[in-house]
Amino acid sequence: MIQPFTSDPLRWVAEDGQPIRELPARFTPEVLRDLHREMVRAREFDKKLVTLLRQGRTTFYAQASGMEATQVGLARSIRVGHDWVWPYYRDHALGLAMGVPMLDLVSQCLGTNSDLCRGRQMPHHFGATRQNFVSISSSIASQVPPAAGNAMAQKYLGTDELTVCTFGDGATSEGDWHAGMNMAGAYGAPCLFVCENNQWAISTNLRAQTASESIHIKAKAYGMPGYYVDGNDIVAVMEVLSHVAQDVRSGKGPALVECLTYRVGSHSNADADAEKNYRTREEVNAWLARDPIVRVERLLEHLGAPVSAEERADLITATHREVDEAVLAAEATGQPDWRIVFEDVYADTPVHLREQAAFLREEQTALTDGAVRA
Amino acid sequence: MTATQPKPAASSAGETRVLTLIQAITEAMAEELARDERVVVFGEDVGARGGVFLATAGLQEQFGQKRVFDTPLSEASIVGAAVGMAVRGLRPIAEIQFADYMGPGFDQIISQAAKIRYRSGGQFTAPLVIRTPSGGGVKGGHHHSQSPESYFAHTPGLKVVMPSTPYDAKGLLKAAVRGGDPVIYFEPKRLYRAAKGEVPAGDYTVEIGQGAVRREGSDLTIIGYGGVMPDAEKAAQALAAEGVHAEVIDLRSLVPWDRDLVLTSVSKTGRAVLVSEAPRTSNFMGEVAYVIQEQLFDQLLAPVMQVAGFDTPYPYVQDKVYLPGANRIAAACVRVLNY
Repeated sequence: MIQPFTSDPLRWVAEDGQPIRELPARFTPEVLRDLHREMVRAREFDKKLVTLLRQGRTTFYAQASGMEATQVGLARSIRVGHDWVWPYYRDHALGLAMGVPMLDLVSQCLGTNSDLCRGRQMPHHFGATRQNFVSISSSIASQVPPAAGNAMAQKYLGTDELTVCTFGDGATSEGDWHAGMNMAGAYGAPCLFVCENNQWAISTNLRAQTASESIHIKAKAYGMPGYYVDGNDIVAVMEVLSHVAQDVRSGKGPALVECLTYRVGSHSNADADAEKNYRTREEVNAWLARDPIVRVERLLEHLGAPVSAEERADLITATHREVDEAVLAAEATGQPDWRIVFEDVYADTPVHLREQAAFLREEQTALTDGAVRA
Repeated sequence: MTATQPKPAASSAGETRVLTLIQAITEAMAEELARDERVVVFGEDVGARGGVFLATAGLQEQFGQKRVFDTPLSEASIVGAAVGMAVRGLRPIAEIQFADYMGPGFDQIISQAAKIRYRSGGQFTAPLVIRTPSGGGVKGGHHHSQSPESYFAHTPGLKVVMPSTPYDAKGLLKAAVRGGDPVIYFEPKRLYRAAKGEVPAGDYTVEIGQGAVRREGSDLTIIGYGGVMPDAEKAAQALAAEGVHAEVIDLRSLVPWDRDLVLTSVSKTGRAVLVSEAPRTSNFMGEVAYVIQEQLFDQLLAPVMQVAGFDTPYPYVQDKVYLPGANRIAAACVRVLNY
């Protein structure tokens, strides 16, 4: 039985790969290998995107290395394309595991014509209707009240969908977070709130963020169960999230799941020197030892089905090739031109925007012709 | 906390150094922290990290965690707490990481900070400063590039400033800290390191509400503030090469704004081009245009022209197209001259 409000994170697999509880039958070596593959893919995507940043081909990136078990585990615990997801800006492993095509993700990061979001948003803020993966926003916790509303609509419409809303630990300090949690609780909306507690909001540690001993206990105040999970143990993440998702889907109201994990890299390229500035190498090393990918590898070893060095190398090569091909394909589509400034502002472009677009068209033409001198 | 009255300001010996805009901001905070122990600096990541743009770098080390500290990630908490601290006698300088994120703190700014003096008949006041990087040109997309100054200029009870030079950045920030009102202090982030200039080593303030003439001229007046100023000056230089003498005015403060300076200049030149990067509709410059036509209707030789951002969210890829660069400003000047 999976209990809410535990004092320690729920866990199935120890850091050395030994199962602590009986391993559920569905976690066959084949399934674990699939999960491992997806996590490695997300990890290598991180590395490739950091390289693209260094090459100046994109301008922003937020790494999720260390958080793969939480995100991939979440993706495997919901009905992709049926349920709705309101993600936050570090959720590419979630997106990839939900089947957002690599080309779509990379195109958004590069702001090319193949970007479904049309070059409007800064990199790493994608969205995809096919997966009901709502466009990511930079403003912290602003997705929480809309996620509650999305779930309210699902209840109103009588669907068996649920809404998933993800956020980091920092977001739980924003007023919007409390407003959204309260709304979903009061309405009994089928919303699964998932806190990807990676313990750092840029340079602010969880201990400076809240005096609460954990995030999940805050659920109590909003009349919903709060679960505490080892977010680096993908078996635990999937066991708890599948169980809770089923409860939420079946009309028991919203729930909060806190996945305790760690952001191994910096917040973004804006603070590449995280270790120097605000946290210790010892702390990072301690969490590196709890790496979710390594844990699955050790579990597979324990099950007598180890991932060979060659297999791992092949996985890495395949992902690098996948990203490289997507980058080339995206870049070949070129950059959106000035017209994208005026489209999608309203359902129908009002007259003042048509005038402003006409002004810019004239200016762009004149500049191309070299007719305007400054 | 015990708080003492501020020490007398150090006198300036006339020594100046060349600083960037962000260095001038840091220096202003350091000097105010040293001058008056009621001054506290806080916000997201301002402590060990030194702020996302490093505006507060070194301040926690120098003044300790009691004076310079990180807060939970909550703009409503940051602004609301600043109001409470100011009411209780401190001089808070709160940082909102990006102007785009003032939304969650908006109610605290317009309902509490702006109104407490008025609603209490002057019994309670909230002299505080909210510093925030604003504007575009840094490939930030719409959540890191907006220019929301008009929302705040529209709210009675707030003062609103936006420097474009290191000298003004330091002087205006010190004036904001020492004044009796809540001040929204916008920092044009694309000028943080691009704008360099002479800054006195000693103490001085720039009065809130005074504009500055950046360039004298007789044929037309270009009026701007914040991030657009280097382009306004570039446009004026280009016009000078054609024999047109543009006067360039930097408003520096939006609330209050320097009507006298603007009206004196436009009555001299008879032509005005107003420049800002905020979206055009309900742009603060609409107010400036209104006052110019109201006061100088008979003296205008051409309609007042606005060069502004478009009425769209700020785009990521077409970042530079959105901004009114020197070309667009110069083209507007040419239209006004040829009217």
